[in-house]
Amino acid sequence: MRWVRWVKRKRRLAAAAGMVLAVLLVGIGTSGQAGAQGTVTLNLYISGDTNIFDLYTKAFLPAFTKRYPQFKTNFVGLLHGNGDDGVYDKILAAKRAGHTVDVDLWETEPGYVDEGIPEGLWVKLSASLVPNIVKVPVQTLEAAQYYGLPYRGSSVVIGYNSQFVKNPPQTFDELVAWIKANPGKFTYCDPNTGGSGQAFVTAAIYKFTGPDKFSGKAYDPNEEAAWAPGWKLLKDLQPAMYNNGFHPNGNVAVLQLLAQQNIWMASVWSDQGLDFYNRGQLPKTMKFEQITPPLIGDDSRVTVPAGSAHLEGALTLLNWLLTPEAQNMVINEVAGYPGIDWKYMPESVRARFKDVAKAFAPYPNPKYLADIKRLWHEQVVGGQ
Amino acid sequence: MSAAPWYWAVGGMRRALGLGAFLAIAAFILGPLFTLLVWAFAGSWLFPNLLPEFSLKWWSYVLSNADVGKAIRISFISAPVATLLSALICIPAAYAFARLEFPARRALLLSFLSANAFPKIGLYVSIATLFYRLNLMDTFTGVVLIQMVNTLLFMIWIPTGTFRGINRNLEEAARDVGAGPLRTFFHITLPIALPGLIIAALFAFLAAFDEAQGTLIVGTPNHITMPVMMYTLVLSYPQPVGAVFSVLLSLPSLVFLIVAQRYLRAGYLAAGYTL
Amino acid sequence: MTPSRRAGALGLALVLPPLLLLVFLIVLPALTAVFDTLAPLEGGPPGLTLARYAQVLGARIIRADITFTILVTLASVAVVFCVSYPLALYLRFVQGRLPAVLAVLFTIPLFIPVVIASFAMITFLVNHGMLSTILYRLGVQRFPPLVYNATGIVITQVWANLPFAILILGAGLQAIDDALIDSARDVGAGPVRTFLAIILPLNAIPTMITLTLLFITILGSFTIPYLVGGNAPQMLGVTMTNYLTQYFRRTDAVTMAVIAFMIAAAVGAVYVASVSRRERVAL
Repeated sequence: MRWVRWVKRKRRLAAAAGMVLAVLLVGIGTSGQAGAQGTVTLNLYISGDTNIFDLYTKAFLPAFTKRYPQFKTNFVGLLHGNGDDGVYDKILAAKRAGHTVDVDLWETEPGYVDEGIPEGLWVKLSASLVPNIVKVPVQTLEAAQYYGLPYRGSSVVIGYNSQFVKNPPQTFDELVAWIKANPGKFTYCDPNTGGSGQAFVTAAIYKFTGPDKFSGKAYDPNEEAAWAPGWKLLKDLQPAMYNNGFHPNGNVAVLQLLAQQNIWMASVWSDQGLDFYNRGQLPKTMKFEQITPPLIGDDSRVTVPAGSAHLEGALTLLNWLLTPEAQNMVINEVAGYPGIDWKYMPESVRARFKDVAKAFAPYPNPKYLADIKRLWHEQVVGGQ
Repeated sequence: MSAAPWYWAVGGMRRALGLGAFLAIAAFILGPLFTLLVWAFAGSWLFPNLLPEFSLKWWSYVLSNADVGKAIRISFISAPVATLLSALICIPAAYAFARLEFPARRALLLSFLSANAFPKIGLYVSIATLFYRLNLMDTFTGVVLIQMVNTLLFMIWIPTGTFRGINRNLEEAARDVGAGPLRTFFHITLPIALPGLIIAALFAFLAAFDEAQGTLIVGTPNHITMPVMMYTLVLSYPQPVGAVFSVLLSLPSLVFLIVAQRYLRAGYLAAGYTL
Repeated sequence: MTPSRRAGALGLALVLPPLLLLVFLIVLPALTAVFDTLAPLEGGPPGLTLARYAQVLGARIIRADITFTILVTLASVAVVFCVSYPLALYLRFVQGRLPAVLAVLFTIPLFIPVVIASFAMITFLVNHGMLSTILYRLGVQRFPPLVYNATGIVITQVWANLPFAILILGAGLQAIDDALIDSARDVGAGPVRTFLAIILPLNAIPTMITLTLLFITILGSFTIPYLVGGNAPQMLGVTMTNYLTQYFRRTDAVTMAVIAFMIAAAVGAVYVASVSRRERVAL
């Protein structure tokens, strides 16, 4: 009798163990690549905002896989760069361990690309690898030393609600005056969380230093003393900002404030602002303009890790991004600037962008940008 | 069990106070969730309207997202597995901590605090490098391991307290009539400890389920869990989208809550914490 | 082997599996990180150095963040404790429908992921959100800022951590024999006296567990301060993430992680010391 109970107990244990094992096997079985015979799955990591995620998942990737059916794509969106450090660590750790990495394309802030160049993490692009690269203006390629492919561009502009703003400011000084005269009706996002916020901050800095000093390759922390008048300007503006100096988390949060008419004016990305406007997410009275001197803008670059397991596919996708089909999507889906030279775009497109596509100011180089973000927290919102 | 709330002898006013306090607590706990629920059905909601214009359009927007279903599936498989495995290795260890004397027992018990005390940000590169060497990146096993790390604290400390609270006399009596140690454990100790262990498993599951920063590195691109996806949807889409997603993701948890009520009621933990 | 030796060996063997997991996934990477912060500076003198800690602690803004983190954590722990203990007592000693409903109610936040909880709290408490709209309709024009600041963090932490505290405290209260309470009443002790003299000491260990775990969890938290906190000062979890991912100061981030760990470890040590003392007394 006793041994019957013993066996019964063991059976229950065995059943429990079997269940765990089964679940494990199911789980492991569903991991890994679900590729049919002969298809290659490319893994794209795109850091940015949701309008760019939609550009890829709803426009780019379906068209690309239609054109090249031997490729499937796996899209990972990294919102506001959350998780970028993890991706960089993955690529670096794979290189150090001598493995391939399952990141085939990465669109991210130039800072990571810069950090990775001495470690040999990226593929250096050229016409032999990406034939369409000849259509891209040379200086935009040189800016990333040929390690990143600029496939679209955008700049930050001033978005304002013309229902409340009858005479929009045309210059940065006029903008500052307007903010002081209309307290609580303007804000910019925390520069850690979005480029539209970085644009306003750098505009304040560039006012006193000029745009070129900090956008080259050189980096000298001692030069940052020149930023002091910029910090003072921004700090003085704090009481006039929305909610007594609150800077929300991300580009979209600011657009939502504009939509809810909590603020009347803000610095916003041209492509994102136009996109939201076209989808009815902003008031009909919303308008956009570029001020003088212009706010920053940049080309967004995609980089291919040298350790990518699917180099051929990654380069094919890169090349496809420069085709007229893809570049038109950049214009139509997200109102971005093309990555290829404007002269390759139709006249109608060039006309449409007359108002906003004036020049844009250059971004500070990534090391300076990192310090700008840190010092903004210290000097402007950090308090005495 | 003492029946009358004896120290609330002054009935009326105290009872009214109690009701008021209860309503305040209920409003505090349910208010935010209710707000989110309303947002999920809001087409557009502007101040100072108390209620929005209702619409279901954001539901189709979210539900048409294929990644959502995938993330849900992965979370609801990996977290239970992590909890189960954690229970398998931690409960025997907890029993050892509670009943057996061995060198450095106290120090080892304390060391499990360290799992939660050191901020994981400082550990990323090392964990990633280790996982690469062991071929654990972007594997189900890797995700489970990362989630298990979050469960260790709960699966050791709560069961240890539970086991410690069980009267030794019960176990010794069983031994005295000839039962072996395993039999004593399964027939005497475990049934008494079960409610406490279930509580531990509950907290462990929730810790594994909520894990985001580690699973982002280890699980991408094919094993994205719900918390990782939640950041994206909640931060950068219009409010209703985040609300819809929140409702979708809370539903299974709330089912879990109803099921777990039986074990959560304080009465079941009676045996767990006697000194 | 003597029986006690055998028990000792068995104990170690049982503890080994989770310990190995801990060592390989936390302890070793943590030690590597700590060593990186102590390693000699580039171009500096050889030998271990505390220079990085001096540098990090020398920055006013980081000291502000550390202070802010500790204060917000203490405030959150205090509020959670002060709200949860009476609730736990209420659930323990009162029968009826109200406690039964409350018992289900307070477990709800356990099942809501922290991201959703933060988001829900913002929609509820923000200016022009649910609460302020209701008050506005009732005639209350001005509404204090309850989110995107320390207040928001504390409120959300309380919301998220209440169930855990009530459960642990409640479990400890459950273990207190009714006979003890009754006999105290019989000798004429009032409720407060009973609480202070009988309940509090007997429930000491769960109390210490609760306080310790609450402190450590809230100290290192990220999601709630990230979503509900303000621009500055920030809690350490957010600051560290910013230093790592936005300012590209990896070593500074790790240094701060070690500092946060030491604070948490100090609290843990206090717990262990007090528990050990109690155990010796109990025996």
